[in-house]
Amino acid sequence: MSEEARPLAGAWRALRRRPDTVAAATVVLFFALMAAFPALFTSTSPRSCPIRDARLDPQGWGAAHPLGTDALGCDVLATLVHGVRPSLLLAAVVVGVSVMIGVTLGLLAGYYLGWVDYLVSRAVEVFLVVPLLLAALLVLSLFQGVDLGAGTFQVILLPAVVLILFGWMPYARYVRASTLEAKNLDYVTAARSLGASDVRIMVRHVLPNAIGTVTALLPTSVAGVISAEAVLSFLGIGVRPPATSWGIQIEQGSEWVTGGAPHILLAPLVCLVATVLALVVLGDALRDALDPRLAR
Amino acid sequence: MGRYVTRRVLQAVGTLLLVMFLLHLLTTVAIQLNGNPAQAFFGDKVASPAQLAAVEQRFGLDDPCFDRVGDPCLGPFAERLGQYARGDFGTNLRGREVSDIVAAAAPNTLRLFCVVLITWLTLGMVLGSVAARRRGSAGDHGIRLTSVLIDAFPVFVLLIVYRYVVAVPLHRWAEETFGEDSWPPYWFKPSFDPDHPWATVVVPGILLGLAGSAAFIRLVRAGQLESYQGDHVRTARSKGLAERHVVVHHVVRNSSVPVVTAVGLTFAEALGGAVITEGLMNIYGMGGVLWEAVRNDDVGLVLGIVTLLAAVTVVVMIVVDVAYAVLDPRIRYE
Repeated sequence: MSEEARPLAGAWRALRRRPDTVAAATVVLFFALMAAFPALFTSTSPRSCPIRDARLDPQGWGAAHPLGTDALGCDVLATLVHGVRPSLLLAAVVVGVSVMIGVTLGLLAGYYLGWVDYLVSRAVEVFLVVPLLLAALLVLSLFQGVDLGAGTFQVILLPAVVLILFGWMPYARYVRASTLEAKNLDYVTAARSLGASDVRIMVRHVLPNAIGTVTALLPTSVAGVISAEAVLSFLGIGVRPPATSWGIQIEQGSEWVTGGAPHILLAPLVCLVATVLALVVLGDALRDALDPRLAR
Repeated sequence: MGRYVTRRVLQAVGTLLLVMFLLHLLTTVAIQLNGNPAQAFFGDKVASPAQLAAVEQRFGLDDPCFDRVGDPCLGPFAERLGQYARGDFGTNLRGREVSDIVAAAAPNTLRLFCVVLITWLTLGMVLGSVAARRRGSAGDHGIRLTSVLIDAFPVFVLLIVYRYVVAVPLHRWAEETFGEDSWPPYWFKPSFDPDHPWATVVVPGILLGLAGSAAFIRLVRAGQLESYQGDHVRTARSKGLAERHVVVHHVVRNSSVPVVTAVGLTFAEALGGAVITEGLMNIYGMGGVLWEAVRNDDVGLVLGIVTLLAAVTVVVMIVVDVAYAVLDPRIRYE
């Protein structure tokens, strides 16, 4: 197959040649590895916090506390490493499920039009009116008292549901638009006249046209969820203690910058920015690679 | 045109009703699952059943449907709509009217948004135009890199760094250099000062505007690039018009229309950003009130403000749509 016929393969080839995307991908993989295997990076538990060791300065690699300790005496590196998992898992779950919902609804709305389209478009409109962060603030403070347990998945369940509920609309819009465009193309009409079923046309012929735009959105959306989670945790309504996250760490660290221990704030902040920057660079490169109008 | 506006307004009213119903459903389910929100009124203190009942009645939570899981509670919803229609948005936990709080807080939010809007348009128009004009040059690449970097620093991070790391030394430096009574120290004050609302809102506003400006830069650049290749620009050039005239009248003006819509789309996101900005910088605006309300578990206040802000978003979207239709007649006939 030629390059034009398989946009994703062509994009992949274009991406591998750019040093910035390779670097960005390395950063993302590094943090993904940290989320999957925290034991590789630290052997200290984030829960062991002797108060007499509070606010130690960073001691360098190999010492007991490479990045120092926070206001309660917990190891900053350990907290950092164990805080990646909830953030990344949340981002992956939220973006994954939102894409599934958005793509399905957008495809159905664009393909069948009529009342399906009316319902979906109205729903998109309604959910778009409430800004994501505002909705999250409202719902999470409403459900603050609900106790779901302390498992890896339970701590992110509530923020995940809210962010999905108010985050699927962009995908539905994009997919609907490209479905409208694609469904009248000649090869789709040909498939229909050959007797292909609606489902087959949608999945095999219409969806591949729409997938490019959605893929280009993914890294930026993941970055968006990660920073939204940080804000929510900063307010104490995102990932909940005893689980840690970068947002919680930033909240605790912010009080100590002028108090002589800036590393408590800077460590999680640098990690957050590095992750988001890497994802945004990836998204930007992906948008270039997948958007034929820019390739001119 | 009149018909278009009427249709748009009716549609918006419908959307707003649905939004209110959605928020109502969420609140109801939360109360049903979560137990009594009246308890939040007492904090950690133990309240007697009589006290609880009194509080429930005051906040309209005494309807039995709040005890039945899965009941949509249409009665209280109708009641609440009636209250909204009379301009009554409920009270906060201390009994102050939400509408009072909003009236006191809204001017500061408006100030913030003025600064944000100016930042968006200036950065977007200037950087976007330059990038489009010198496409492919080092300047274009630099501007593009800048917009990627802007995206990579969430408002939250920018503000945290500004407030906790940069503002204090900068404020001190400004005081020493310009004297305590001059303007610069107020610009860099790490928190809001009600006596100097404009001066203390400028820097947070610029930071918030900066965070949203990447979208504008890209949009203006793409729009103008398209215009530069348009037939009307070639015609204008071949008529012998000065390049300056071509750029200002045929490129910049023509590509300004999509920027208007972008204001509408970015507005909802900026409202979220405003909550973070006002909350972190202690600005007494709608977002700041909301931030504090979340911290104090004041659910009534949160609900009232989110409803109001949703209404504001709907209005902004209508205004943008109408402005778009005025600027671009093709939209009206869709």
